[in-house]
Formats: sequence, structure tokens, C-alpha cells
Amino acid sequence: MLEQKDKIKVLYIDDEPNNLISFKASFRFDYTVYVANNTDEAVVQLRQHPDISVILSDQKMPDKTGVEFFEEIRKEFPNPVRILITGYADIESVINAINRGHVYRYIKKPWLEEDIKSSIEQAYKFYITTAMLAVKNDELQKAYNELDKFAYSATHDMRGPILSVLGIIDLAKNTDDINETRAMLDMMENAMQKLDNYIQNLHDYYSIRRGEVAIAEINFEDTVKDLSDIYEVSSKMSNVRFVKTVDQQETFRSDDVSLKIILNNLLSNAFKYQRKGNTDRLVELKVEVSKGMAVITVSDNGIGIPENSINQIFNMFYRATSEEVGSGFGLYNVKDALGKLGGKIDVSSKQNEGTTFVVTIPSK
Amino acid sequence: MSQEKLNFIVVDDSKLDCFIAEKIIQNSGRAEKINTFQQATDALEHVKNLPLPHGKTIIFVDIQMPVMNGFEFVESFETLPDETREAISIYMLSSSINENDIARVRGYASVKQFLNKPLTNNSIAMVLEQF
Repeated sequence: MLEQKDKIKVLYIDDEPNNLISFKASFRFDYTVYVANNTDEAVVQLRQHPDISVILSDQKMPDKTGVEFFEEIRKEFPNPVRILITGYADIESVINAINRGHVYRYIKKPWLEEDIKSSIEQAYKFYITTAMLAVKNDELQKAYNELDKFAYSATHDMRGPILSVLGIIDLAKNTDDINETRAMLDMMENAMQKLDNYIQNLHDYYSIRRGEVAIAEINFEDTVKDLSDIYEVSSKMSNVRFVKTVDQQETFRSDDVSLKIILNNLLSNAFKYQRKGNTDRLVELKVEVSKGMAVITVSDNGIGIPENSINQIFNMFYRATSEEVGSGFGLYNVKDALGKLGGKIDVSSKQNEGTTFVVTIPSK
Repeated sequence: MSQEKLNFIVVDDSKLDCFIAEKIIQNSGRAEKINTFQQATDALEHVKNLPLPHGKTIIFVDIQMPVMNGFEFVESFETLPDETREAISIYMLSSSINENDIARVRGYASVKQFLNKPLTNNSIAMVLEQF
């Protein structure tokens, strides 16, 4: 027998209590059956159980007909599939109702159990297909919106560095000073690194979006060591203390690529957004694994995030500061990757004091 | 043609593009003073606090910037007193090829023209012809 939660949820409306009882008796093993004695009760049931997927209603009832009822509730409850049960020869109104889309199907009274069952099964299939279509439509709309944003950003973030370099080349052509030319080469290098960084972020974005999750055992000691090799350089160059602690006593399973995208972005931000005058610059990475959860804390004592932008930092292409060069992609990717791993992220920050990100990821 | 000296203000979140603009402006030989800002809010403060009356001033402002973008800068500028805005000409610069952005620039009374990035000897010469 199907579990309670997997059963199709059906609502049956009839003014005759006997019909309700026999309906419930016949189908309660196959479906989760809700019944209503009149249309007001039916609306209450629908509000209480928004996952009802099929509604069956008697046509002839004292307060209103089944068709009228369906017509009324269609706006508030557009998703459940509507089936009319009619014992009368008022076939005209039934045809009319079907044609106007109020009714998916009608069943003649007295009904046969098989008729009801096959109608409910078909109605449910229709319900699922329609629901999936709505979900897919939402996803598509989201993808379109992101594409629009992306197209807009691409002209700025990808063309920007190229135009800067073209500008410098134009200047360099007109200078004979070798030192000035060298300085210009450094600037061009910077611009190209910025572009490269943007393209790598873009690649991350697509690997999160389209890539499959590959679950494997994660040894955080190794992960942190790989990251250290990269960030020791930034640590020395920009004079930032880098403190790492890993406490992992149990196995942890997750997707290595997504984890690295998360850690890389949080760490590179922590190193990037340091305060200029600060003599004790610090980035701290702490990993604790216990009870099937990994809690990763990345904190810095850098410039912090202004209070009014903290809600927007995970939005695509949002940049909270012009202090440093950011693509507006990094934290968006972090959030996306966390969505894939079923994790969450919390941020606390104070301007000119620093920022702490706490990431919680369940083992898979 | 009179070669009147002008003040310049460059607003661009990219340090590099500030540098380019500064160089190009210097090369033009028309600069009395050049101020560059990587944050539009700082530039706005600077403009607000200019001693009056100030000489002819040209502002080059980038469109896409974090915190305060070029459009927001212009909108705030347009609320400043007449005496402050007098003798200031704004040019908007962008790497954007977005039609909406370019169309939007035309909607601002205080913006003289939209210029493509990067600022070059040629494009600044065209601008300076009008002064």
C-alpha cells in the first residue's frame, strides 16, 4: 500500500451524506479522501489542504450546481483537476461546462468504481503534467532573466578591461619614457587578470548550473591544504595573517568542485577586502565537522559590508563597494553552489571591523 | 580659437580608466586642474563643495559603477543649486553598448553627450572644440 503522503488527495462534494460515506468507503485505501457536504465546506477543505489534486463534485446540490461551484473556485484554486458527477440528463449544461474549461471530465450517476478510479488516475496525470509545466516555466523565466542580466554585464565586465587596455596602448604609443611604459604594462596586466578572473567566475557559474554533483568523501585537511597553497601567496604579498583550523573526526560526503567554489570565493573576498591602514590584517578559516554537518567559518577584519547592502550581496552582479575590483559574480556562485549541496550561509558584518561568513553543509 | 584652461573631474570606479582619462586630458594641454574619483559619492561631495564661482568644468562620468552609478550621480547633480551647476558640463562614458543606456543618457538635460570608452586623443579633441 502506498504511504499516506504518496496517495493522491481527492475531495468529494455531495449533499447526500450516504453518498459521501460510500465514496469514502470505496476509495479510502487508494486515495486520501476528503469529503464535503456542501460547497462552503468544500472551500474550507481546499484552503486547509492545498495539495488536493482532484475534486469530484455532484452536479445537483441545493445551494448551487457542481458546474457553478467549479466556475467559482477556479480562480482561487486553479490547480486541482475538476470532475463532475451527474445523475441527471442535464447534458447541455455539462457539455457547456466542459467546453468552457470548468470541468475536466464527467461521470454518470450511479458511478462505477472503475470509472471513478480511471478518471482520478487520468486527472492526476493531467494535474502533475500541468504542475510540472508551471515549475519548468518558472525555471525558464528565471533563466531568461539571468541571461538578460548576463548580456548586460558582459558588455561591461568583459569589454571594460579590453577597452582599458586599448586606451593604455593608445597612450603608450605616444610615450618615450621607458619607466612610464613599464608602468603601463603593469596596468595592462592587471586589466587582463581582471578579465581572466571574470571568465573563470563565469566558468564556475556554468559548472554549478549545468554540472552534475559528484558526491565523494571529503577530507577537509586536504581541501584546506590545497587552498592554503594558493592563499599563502596572497597572505605574504598583502601582509595578512592566515589562520586555519580543521576539526574533522568523521567522514563527510559532498561535492568537491562545489565546495572549492564556495571556499575559494569566500577566501578571495576575505583577502581582497582588507582595510588599507590596518597593521594586523587577519583571515581566519575554521572547519568543524560533527554529526553529519560541516560548519565552515571564514572571517576577516577588513572593510566590512555596509548595512544597507548586506541583503543584496548574494545577488548577481551586485557590488557593494568600489574599493576593490569585484565581478559581482562570486557570492552569487557561492549561494548557487550551496543550493546544490543543500547548505546555507549566514553573514554578519560591521563596517571597518570585518565580516564573518558561516556556511553549514549537511553530509550527503 | 581661444585656448581657455578648464577644470576636469573624472569619475570611474576603475583606477585604470581614471589613469587613462587623466593622461589623455593632460595631453590635451587644456587642463587647469584634474580631479579623479573612484567613487561617485566622493565626486558629488567635491562638486557640492566647489568654491563659487568656479571656472568652466568638465565632468567625465562612467555609467556602471557600484554604490552610486553614473545615472544616480547625474540625478543627484541635477538637484544641486544653479550656481553650483553653472559652468559644469557632464559627459557620460561607458563600455556599454546597451541601447537603453545610451537612450537614457539623452534624457538628462545636464548631460552633454555619451562617449564610448576608452577616452582617446580624438574623442577629447572633439569635446574640447566646444569650449
